[in-house]
Amino acid sequence: MDNSYVPIRMRVEKIAVEDPERNLRTYDLAFEDEDAGKRFNYLPGQFCEMSILGKGESPFGIASSPSEGDLLKFTVNRAGSVTGEIHYLREGDAVGIRGPLGNWYPVEKLKGMNVLIIGGGFAFTTLRSLLVYLLGSRGDYGDINVIYGARNPDLFIYKNEIEEWRTREDMELHLTIDSPVDGWSGMTGFVPSVTGELAPGQENTMAIVCGPPIMIKFTLPVLTELGFPDERIYTSLERRMKCGIGKCGRCNIGSRYVCIDGPVFSLAQLRNIPEAF
Amino acid sequence: MYRLDKGRFDEFIRLLGREYRTYAPVRTAGRTGFAIVDSAGMIDTDVLVTDMSPKEIFFPPSETLFRYGRNGIKTDEVPERPIAVWGIRSCDVRSLSMLDRVFGSAVQMPEDDRFKDPYWNHRYGSSLLFGSACIDPSPTCFCNWFGGGPFNKDGMDVFTVDAGEYYLLEPVSGKGQEFIGGLACLAPAGESELDLVSAIAAEAASRMPEEEDLKEAGRKLSDIFDEPVWSELSAKCVNCGACTFCCPTCHCFDIQDESQGSEGRRVRIWDSCMFPIFTREASGHNPRALSKERVRQRIMHKYSYSLENYGEFLCTGCGRCVLVCPVNLDIRDVLRRLLHYRAEGKCNG
Ligand SMILES: Cc1cc2nc3c(=O)[nH]c(=O)nc-3n(C[C@H](O)[C@H](O)[C@H](O)COP(=O)(O)OP(=O)(O)OC[C@H]3O[C@@H](n4cnc5c(N)ncnc54)[C@H](O)[C@@H]3O)c2cc1C
Ligand code: SF4
Ligand code: SF4
Ligand code: FES
Repeated sequence: MDNSYVPIRMRVEKIAVEDPERNLRTYDLAFEDEDAGKRFNYLPGQFCEMSILGKGESPFGIASSPSEGDLLKFTVNRAGSVTGEIHYLREGDAVGIRGPLGNWYPVEKLKGMNVLIIGGGFAFTTLRSLLVYLLGSRGDYGDINVIYGARNPDLFIYKNEIEEWRTREDMELHLTIDSPVDGWSGMTGFVPSVTGELAPGQENTMAIVCGPPIMIKFTLPVLTELGFPDERIYTSLERRMKCGIGKCGRCNIGSRYVCIDGPVFSLAQLRNIPEAF
Repeated sequence: MYRLDKGRFDEFIRLLGREYRTYAPVRTAGRTGFAIVDSAGMIDTDVLVTDMSPKEIFFPPSETLFRYGRNGIKTDEVPERPIAVWGIRSCDVRSLSMLDRVFGSAVQMPEDDRFKDPYWNHRYGSSLLFGSACIDPSPTCFCNWFGGGPFNKDGMDVFTVDAGEYYLLEPVSGKGQEFIGGLACLAPAGESELDLVSAIAAEAASRMPEEEDLKEAGRKLSDIFDEPVWSELSAKCVNCGACTFCCPTCHCFDIQDESQGSEGRRVRIWDSCMFPIFTREASGHNPRALSKERVRQRIMHKYSYSLENYGEFLCTGCGRCVLVCPVNLDIRDVLRRLLHYRAEGKCNG
């Protein structure tokens, strides 16, 4: 029988520093064992527990898309002990992962629909996965509209790709920062109010929201006001985690475990869960 | 039914020990719990509800998940002999079936092995449980609220009754029948012995408390999730976690690494939803920062969420938490007050 507590061995293939403060780093990881790589089937929205032996584990959303190839991408914000240790990793080092864990964005349902992606800060990780996934079979989906906010221009992750997305004709990208900065050509304002201003149409559209809790909290009512029904609003939640497989009892909101029943929930589901927000 | 004369009990325990690592109630430094025994003399045959529950046999307070070092990761060898437990009470046998739903199976995604816990499975899956009838239930027992009872046999392999001079053994599962079927130290029980068991059972049943109707408990608790009654109920809790550690069904754990140089082991350790750091995130945000929220979590998990997820309560009515709480927060009172909360319109007392 599989042992879900034992990490899969990975090699750090490439590290990219995302911000001038060097708090955000993106890691491309390669499977040491090819078979393990073949067995690792995932979809956008899922996450892994990344493991530094001797230091512990932490959950991170998978930022790569399965359509991209065999490397797994994670972007890690330095927040505490394990993330601090991850930031010491160098290219070529070994690291463990457990996963893929959790559920995923409703990619099947998205077929034939317009997609509105709303993200904030470094939580854009799994949204990148989703966006790359959708662009990978572009013909299957309608309009793709992305609203992405960060505190200031430095804090957007995947800046090279943003440049590329900006120039694409088959999607729209709206970047916004919290307050005005010289030389900024994008929008200004918090994600919820920018979403209200842009007022994207809800017709045949699925909204996917991921970001800091406060952003999610204030964005969902805006979408409701724009006419999105609860069944067409999805978001990804965060809770402190350990096991990732519904046993350690830590990550629940109401009767649902974020690690196995989530992290992706529709607003319709969340309405029935106490303490969701 | 078989009869095991107490004069041959030691022989029986030694026979059992040949095939199984045998656990039974023992008393160490005044505290009772389950430990490995190799003779009948080591067993505390009087204790009803042990201080520590037998969950620790199958889900130890601290357990090595794997060891790591220069040569990679290694899981520990699985011991060959399976586990037998003698003298486990009906409520505790049921707690193991409850935990088996959490650890052993994959209720959420039955096809998916990822959700099966190998550590639990290798212990519980091959175990042989000799359940012990409760002849003299204690005033803190309330297993009958949850469909249990002092003579309930659910989940046992062999049901045993202490009839004074001898034990009566009744095989419940095929595995139980197989083990006791051919033992020379057992004799078939006669009519009079069976009558005696019925009499003891009736006497025990008469000592149980009045049942509380829990049919609507799950829904009712969700309905009053936001009511102020929770603050009032949790006011005296000091968040010591004692109730969760002694509880046979609480299963929360933490995972930690213990290193010495480049070698070490990853362990899982019992944890408690009563501690504030249990849910505190790196950002400082804590979804259950208040004591009220944590007490509510414990109650909701046991009597509402678990019902929704696994179709049964996560409480056996063993009464351990009632006995152990330093501020006498009695879960029976808490439940009663919550269940009657709407009816009263307010909470008194
Ligand atoms: C589903 C999910 C996806 C995530 N994706 C990302 C991501 O893509 N990039 C990123 O930078 N961060 C992500 N996080 C947050 C990240 O897991 C925490 O910042 C990280 O666990 C902090 O660990 P630490 O050891 O550095 O902090 P410490 O404060 O030292 O935490 C100790 C331990 O507590 C647990 N823990 C603490 N905070 C959190 C938290 N917010 N969420 C879950 N467990 C926590 C972890 O097991 C951690 O190792 C995600 C969290 C979840 C639940
Ligand atoms: S909650 Fe209390 S009575 Fe119920 S199983 Fe746990 S310790 Fe026993
Ligand atoms: S034993 Fe009593 S005081 Fe301690 S956490 Fe449990 S309910 Fe609170
Ligand atoms: S992380 Fe352990 S139950 Fe979800």
